[in-house]
Amino acid sequence: MDSKLYLAENVLNERRPVTYRLLSRALKLHANRAKHILFEFHRNENAKKPQTVHATYVISGIQKAPDQAPTNGHADNGDDMMESSPYLPSSMPNQDTDSDSIRTTSIVLAREEDLEDAKSTFQSISIIHVYSLEPTALPDLNVLVDSNREIARTHGQEDPLEFGKQWGMIQNQNVKRRTGARPPPPAAPAVKAPAAKVSNPSIESTVPAKRPLQKETASSKVEAAEPSSATNSQTSSKPSGKAAPAKQKGNGNLFSSFAKAKPKTKVSAPAEPVGAITFVLDDASEEEAEELFPDSTDKAAAANRENRKEREEKLKKMMDDDDDEADDEEMPDADEEPREPTPVEQPPPSKPAELKEEVTVQGGRRRGKRQVMKKKTVKDEEGYLVTREEATWESFSEDEPAPKKKPAVNVPKKAGKAAGQGNIMSFFGKK
Amino acid sequence: MAPDAEDYTFLCPPSKEEQEQEPVYRAPSHYNPRQTYHLPPGAGRHYQQQYDDLYFLRLAKLKPTVEKVAQDAWDGLIIAGEKVRRVDRVLDVRQGELCWVAGTVYMDLPMKPNILDDLSKENFTSAPPPRRTYTDPSNPSLTQIMMEDESGRLRLTGNFLRSTQLATGAIIAALGTENANGDFEVIDIKLPDLAPQLQRWEGTAPENGIEIAGKEHGKIAFVSGLGITGTSSDTLALELLTDYLLGYTGFSGNDENSPSLGSSKITRLVIAGNSLGASVVGDVASTNPDNDEATKALPKKYGYDASAYNPAPITELDNFLAEILPSIPVTLMPGEKDPANFSLPQQGIHRTMFPQARAYSAPPARGDDKPEAGWFDSVTNPWDGDVEGWRLWGCSGQNVDDVLRYINIEGGDSSPNKGTDSDARMRIMEAMLRWRCGVPTAPDTIWSYPFQSDDPYVIENCPHIFFAGNQPQFKTATIEGDVPLRLDGDTEMTGAADGSDAARVRLLALPKFNETGELILVDTETLEVEVVRFGVFKGQEEQK
Repeated sequence: MDSKLYLAENVLNERRPVTYRLLSRALKLHANRAKHILFEFHRNENAKKPQTVHATYVISGIQKAPDQAPTNGHADNGDDMMESSPYLPSSMPNQDTDSDSIRTTSIVLAREEDLEDAKSTFQSISIIHVYSLEPTALPDLNVLVDSNREIARTHGQEDPLEFGKQWGMIQNQNVKRRTGARPPPPAAPAVKAPAAKVSNPSIESTVPAKRPLQKETASSKVEAAEPSSATNSQTSSKPSGKAAPAKQKGNGNLFSSFAKAKPKTKVSAPAEPVGAITFVLDDASEEEAEELFPDSTDKAAAANRENRKEREEKLKKMMDDDDDEADDEEMPDADEEPREPTPVEQPPPSKPAELKEEVTVQGGRRRGKRQVMKKKTVKDEEGYLVTREEATWESFSEDEPAPKKKPAVNVPKKAGKAAGQGNIMSFFGKK
Repeated sequence: MAPDAEDYTFLCPPSKEEQEQEPVYRAPSHYNPRQTYHLPPGAGRHYQQQYDDLYFLRLAKLKPTVEKVAQDAWDGLIIAGEKVRRVDRVLDVRQGELCWVAGTVYMDLPMKPNILDDLSKENFTSAPPPRRTYTDPSNPSLTQIMMEDESGRLRLTGNFLRSTQLATGAIIAALGTENANGDFEVIDIKLPDLAPQLQRWEGTAPENGIEIAGKEHGKIAFVSGLGITGTSSDTLALELLTDYLLGYTGFSGNDENSPSLGSSKITRLVIAGNSLGASVVGDVASTNPDNDEATKALPKKYGYDASAYNPAPITELDNFLAEILPSIPVTLMPGEKDPANFSLPQQGIHRTMFPQARAYSAPPARGDDKPEAGWFDSVTNPWDGDVEGWRLWGCSGQNVDDVLRYINIEGGDSSPNKGTDSDARMRIMEAMLRWRCGVPTAPDTIWSYPFQSDDPYVIENCPHIFFAGNQPQFKTATIEGDVPLRLDGDTEMTGAADGSDAARVRLLALPKFNETGELILVDTETLEVEVVRFGVFKGQEEQK
């Protein structure tokens, strides 16, 4: 018999305590049946060879009032738990209360050898059953707690709503549970994702490094929208990885990876909330990971779109500024304002977000045009030198993938510098 | 060795054929939580206001009531040839005149924490250690009771006050006369008394009320002070409680002879505070002496040290909740020791603390919609709401504990008699209802949010069940609205008057589960109370 085997293995060989609930979970039995099985096993084994198995019992019933002392933890409760007179708990609250004292039921765990003593403290017993079997008497019954915690570990993945009936759990037809939230959210991977990018500044991250994340979250949409460009960029990234691996490091790279991801989202409208969603993941600890609750996604998506700008900026800040760990969700305004004037905060116009790419694939050969930022220095009408960045189109093919990277990577630095100069210049110029 | 008791159902081998066990279904729970103590989130929560508003609002709300009570009692009363006069403001009391006046009680006690003292001693950086009492039993004369309103303060004296109990923040009317010292000699006081009580189901949506009427008995279960630590020092009682609530232990409601065992009757579990045991942070180091040196050797980190965080208690609580939630809805109130804000009203423990149990909570509220009640409802402390049609008002016990510090417990030795203590707690709970103020000592000696437009601690509708968690001992009583408050031991009252109209309130002082192992069940039809106690029989081995 399956259950006998299980018990023999666990109790006799591995010498672990087995509670009726563990048995019920392990073999998917009704709890009541598990109690019977434990009893039978205990009787049979001890008949074969006494003292091989030790049992712990649960007694439920009504205890005798004065004999409560031996019960753990409430030695001095006495018989004080009486209802007072219907009116005031005044100075004589316990007078006429013997008749309607509070009914107290006790559920007590007792070892096999104490069973008779324990039973004698009861006035009436409604039920006794085996709680657990163990190889020897337990000096501390709290060991059984660990046995029950094992249930959570080993059988925690079984849905109680599905199997509850089997176990003999009281069913509830009104239970409301939001779907999709079964396993605890993978908070750790979400946090690690950006870190991994930072620590591994290879070319992979320049090309939409968010690809895996996107797949998890906004998956099908993105792929459907731009299958060609996505695959293209990935293929193109591999050769380029060999070409210039050492040049990109640190913040600039990370930043550019983000910036580079942007053009894609521009090309394909459906991929829009990418930035927002990745942010949510990064921030899962504070903001609830909303994708866990599909019934609220419509609202979440709307909110995402609204906050996208704001969040992008925050994300950028987060990535630029390593010290800025604590982002207080509750007051974004107060958080944001004092940091406004940092140089990275240059308004988006000079941001390389406008970069576009047009790629065609012909017989495995890629040709295309792409927009590249080029520096131009001109003298303006007042005689000052102004350095500007302009997007220009240049064509490329698979033979020359490397140049594509360089401008892209250097863009943010240049952009910051150039824009800063321009601003200062124009500031003086106006005067 | 094996018990020979064939008469117990489970002490027999399993029947050969696998009989189909009839599933047992739990009765539905009718639940309508109220948002009385829900604070606006984030930017809507301000701490700049003065607490003065709270007292002002409380007085404005309750003064008309108490004045009406006093008017009814004292109007036209003539004592020693002098007619009792009503005075509007406490400063208008004239010496020698017999009069009555209403106002807020303020008690000045020698040991009461005083923010100004703390500031001047420069130890204001940490919360003052909790004191057992604010009074000084050796020198009761240091206790001053005053009455104040917008105009000023009046010191109350007189023998009458010794036989009553008062606490800061209560609104009363006092009858008396000002003596030569300028103190007000009190002869009698009146309280607002119980607030109007709704009929059962009145607080719930009407369409529910019709379909529900005439339903069978159910139970509401209350537990408090689970004190989960996540270590092996957790008692087995919690496991037994889980088994019981899920119907594994005891009868599953089949046996009508023992309805108390049928946990399928329990429609809802209310957890009233202190679900977690000893403080979460830094607990690991103190429990493990080997670690002590290691922790000392480490450089002290400024601020929050993540490595000192011990997630075990909250994880175990989450496991416990996730275990029982598939079968029973849970209302969880935070308590003093729980990871929520400390000042009342404590806001619900955030659901991200419960990665498993939160699947059962309500989705985040959208916009201005009234948030729907979750199957797992993490509510505020204090909290009020309608369960099975009854109005519940409860707190995790801070209110009672604090008022108790105002009262000089009779025979106030270091170890007060337990019976006296729990009687005093009952009396305090009753007094709160008669003061119509659930947390009278906030914001004086209980930290509180500075409410500005409303004093939510005023109880506008008398609850049917009034509970306080984390009390040392279980205690219950029923009070009725018609009976005047008598605290002086004068108990010759009418017999069992069946006050069908009168407000009846069931008071519950919930014990700490980790000390007593007690779960309190309240019948949904009769409001009768019973106790289920979980424990481990101390065998000979442990008694040695």
